[in-house]
Amino acid sequence: MSDFWDRYGRSVSPCHRLPPLLKIGLALAVIIAGVAIPFENWPAFGVLGCFVFTGHSIAGIPLRYLLKRLFIFLPFIGTMAISLPLSQGFSHGWELMLTIVCRGTIAFLTSLWLINVMPFAQLLVTLRRLRVPAVFVAILAFMYRYVFVVWDELDRLRTARKARSMGHTSLLFRWKSLAAMLGTLLIRSLTRAERIHGAMLSRGWTGEVHWLDDE
Amino acid sequence: MHIPDGFLSNEVCLATAAAAVGAVGYSLHRIKGDLAERTIPLTGMMGSLIFAGQMINFPIGLPVSGHLMGGVLAGVILGPWAGCVALTMVLVAQWALFSDGGLTALGANILHMAVLGSIGGYAVMAAIRRRFKCRSRGTVIGSVIAAWLSVMAAAALFCVEFRLSHAAGEFRFQNIFTLMVAFHALIGIGEALITAVVVNVVLHHRPDLVFGLQSDAPPARSLPQFVGAGLIVALAVAAFASPFASEFSDGLEAVAEKESVAASEDGLPGVFADYDAIPLGNWQSLSVSAAGVVGVLSIFALSLLMTRGLSRQPATQLAGAAPRE
Repeated sequence: MSDFWDRYGRSVSPCHRLPPLLKIGLALAVIIAGVAIPFENWPAFGVLGCFVFTGHSIAGIPLRYLLKRLFIFLPFIGTMAISLPLSQGFSHGWELMLTIVCRGTIAFLTSLWLINVMPFAQLLVTLRRLRVPAVFVAILAFMYRYVFVVWDELDRLRTARKARSMGHTSLLFRWKSLAAMLGTLLIRSLTRAERIHGAMLSRGWTGEVHWLDDE
Repeated sequence: MHIPDGFLSNEVCLATAAAAVGAVGYSLHRIKGDLAERTIPLTGMMGSLIFAGQMINFPIGLPVSGHLMGGVLAGVILGPWAGCVALTMVLVAQWALFSDGGLTALGANILHMAVLGSIGGYAVMAAIRRRFKCRSRGTVIGSVIAAWLSVMAAAALFCVEFRLSHAAGEFRFQNIFTLMVAFHALIGIGEALITAVVVNVVLHHRPDLVFGLQSDAPPARSLPQFVGAGLIVALAVAAFASPFASEFSDGLEAVAEKESVAASEDGLPGVFADYDAIPLGNWQSLSVSAAGVVGVLSIFALSLLMTRGLSRQPATQLAGAAPRE
C-alpha cells in the first residue's frame, strides 16, 4: 500500500540525495516562476517543462508513471479550465485557458517530482526543522500512520457489502449503503482512536510531544 | 475539488496562505487548551478517516461520480477547531502523497475546505441546532444546511480569488460566477446528502461521539458566548453573501456610469476596472437567484426527509447514552 502511494520515494538518485529544504525550494521556485510567466512568453513554458522533465529522468521516475498520472490530471484541469471560455460564450478566454493548462501541468509535474524524491517521513522531519508546531507534525504523523489501517478497515467493509448485495442494485440503495458504510467506518475509527489513546496513556503519554532530534 | 497550481496568481496564493496559517494556528492554539492529550489521536484518526472516506465514490448515474469533502462532517463530530485541523491534515497529506491540489494553492484549499467547511460549517450548524428542542434533529438539519452552504461559499470564494488573480478584461466575472455557483449548487446537494446520512448513522449508534451532545442538559449560554457565536455566523453569512453583493454593486455601478458619462475609468484600481458600462443582462442575476432558491428549497426538503427517521427515536434515549470515557 505504502509502495503504491509513494513508490519512488526510497530509490537512490542524485535528486533524492539533495537536502530536503533545497528540494522544496527548487519545486516552489519552478511553480512560482511558471505562474509568473505571461502568455506572450509561451516558449518559457517549454523551457521550464524540459527542466522539470530532466529532473524526473535524473530521479529515475519512469515515463509510464508520469503518463498515467497525467492521463488522470489533464482531463481534470481541462474540465476546470474549459469552464472559462464556456462561461464567456466561447467568444474569448481561450488564451487564459491555455495559459492555465500550461501552468497547471508544469506545476503538477513539479509537485510529482517533489513527492517522489521526498518520502513522507522526510517531509515530517523537514516540517519540524521549519519550526512548524510540534502538535501539527504529531497529528500529521499520527494520521499517516493510521491511514493504512483505516483503509484496510474500509476494504473489509467493502468486501462484506459486496458479499451481501452481489453487485446490481438500485442507485438509491447504493447511496444508502455507501453512506452507512462511511458512518460505520467513522464509528469504528473513533472507537479505535479511543483505544489507542488509552494505550498511549498507559504508556505514560501526557500530551507532551517529544522528538528524537529535539536536542 | 482541489484547486491545482496555475489558477491563482502568486500574490493571491500568498494572501490565502497567510490567512490559512492564521486560522489553522488559532485552531491549534484552541485545541491545545482543552484536553491536549487526547487531541492528537482523535484529530489524527479523523484525518485518516476523511482521507479514506474521500475515496469512496458515490455513483450519480453518469460516468462521473462524487465523493465526500468532509469539512462540515469533521466540524460536527470533532468541533470547529479540531475539525479544521483534521481537514488541514487531509489536504497536506493529499498533496504529499498524490500531488492532489497545488503546492502554492494549498493555502487556498485549506481556507476553502478546512476553515470555511469546518469552522464556518460548525457555526452555521450550531446556530441552527440552537433553534431545535430535539438536539439530534437540530444537528442533522443544521449539518445539511451547513454542508450545502459550505460548498457554495467555497465556490464563491474561489471565484473572487480567481477574479483577483487575473488582469481585468480577460473575462467577465459575472458569467464565471454564475457558472460556478450554479454547478456547485448541485455538488453541494450531494455533499449535504452524504453528510446528513453519516451524521444520522453516528447519532443513531454513538451520539456521544458528536461534539456538543455529550452533556444531556443544554449548556447555559452566557452573553459573550452568544455574541461571539452571532458574530461568527454573521461573518460566515457575510463571506457567503459578499459575492452576491458584488453582483448588485456591479449592476449599480453600470447604472451609475450610464448616468454620469464623466466618470473616469482610469482612476479605478485593477479590481474594478472591468466593471464597464455593458448593460447587465437580467438573466444572469436571475439565474443565480433561481439556483439559490432551488438549492435552498431542495436542502430544506432534504433535511426534513432525513429527520423523519430520527423522529421515531425518543430523545431520552439519546440523552441517556454513555458519556465518552
